[in-house]
Amino acid sequence: MTGDLDDTDRDILARIARDDPPPPDLDERVLFALALADLEAEVARLAAATPALARAGEQAHTVTFDAASRTVMITVVERADNLVRVDGWLAPAAALVVELRLPEPAEPRVVTADDTGRFVFDEVPHGLAQLLIHPPTTGTPKVVTPSLQL
Amino acid sequence: MSPADAVDADAHLGELLERARDGDRESLRELVRVLNPVLWRVARGQGLAAEDAADVVQTAWLELLRRLHEIRTPRAITAWLITTTRREAWHRQQRARRDVPDGGAAVETAVDPGPGPGERLIADERDRVLWTHFDRLSERCRDLLRIVAQVERPDYAVIAAAFGLPHGSIGPTRSRCLAKLRAMLLADPVWGAS
Repeated sequence: MTGDLDDTDRDILARIARDDPPPPDLDERVLFALALADLEAEVARLAAATPALARAGEQAHTVTFDAASRTVMITVVERADNLVRVDGWLAPAAALVVELRLPEPAEPRVVTADDTGRFVFDEVPHGLAQLLIHPPTTGTPKVVTPSLQL
Repeated sequence: MSPADAVDADAHLGELLERARDGDRESLRELVRVLNPVLWRVARGQGLAAEDAADVVQTAWLELLRRLHEIRTPRAITAWLITTTRREAWHRQQRARRDVPDGGAAVETAVDPGPGPGERLIADERDRVLWTHFDRLSERCRDLLRIVAQVERPDYAVIAAAFGLPHGSIGPTRSRCLAKLRAMLLADPVWGAS
């Protein structure tokens, strides 16, 4: 379609395009989330993102994801060494296996939440990540979050 | 674009989808690259903040992955993603409104670093004039021009699905909208002077 456009048309379209383009990492985020092989998983929705209280000198923000079966809340805390700590809570609370997917070649991190639903991933690099909550019994779907930038 | 080209575009998306289903990452990457700008505009067009719009686009793709076996034709994948994006965006809006009394939505808006849907990037006088006249176009023209401007090589089959219009009408509508905006701009002394 560019064939029938002159310079004025192209200038007009370029100016329109400069306003509110998709975020540069949108494709990457989508592809990272789609790399997940499990097609049966239940998708959790971003419910809220707020700044969180943190200790002096620390920056943190809290993100909540809602799925039909469970809510996952995480607080991402900046560490002094340019890594982050992810403090998480599951509601309803359950001692479930929680997996943090990271872009290849990094191996996924796997932890088990305690009885109150708390879990921690420490020394996590900045970048894309995705949470998977493994079901308590086989036959119930996993819960996956959209990919997020830590 | 002729109807034959539109059919080709459909066939191209169909091939990409087939190969993506078989695990070809490059095809999936291409599919995402072609469709994301349109989905982004659909989400933003519903008035979502940037971070919410990005999340909604991602959610639509994740839902697609779960329902890949239900998608039978390439035309359907585009329409399906657009419908899902629109529905997710609507739900997100409803939830934000519901959350207003307890202040949740206010906090969410406050920390969103992206520009609001009503804000424009104004770099020079021509931009200012452009957006003034752009706002005088019909909603359909505005939506259509924003999408064709965003997509490097516009896929009319995709855009037609986004608007629920026949393939053949996208090219002429686009030309008419652009011509109208162009005429208004050329008649404006500020556009000519700067």
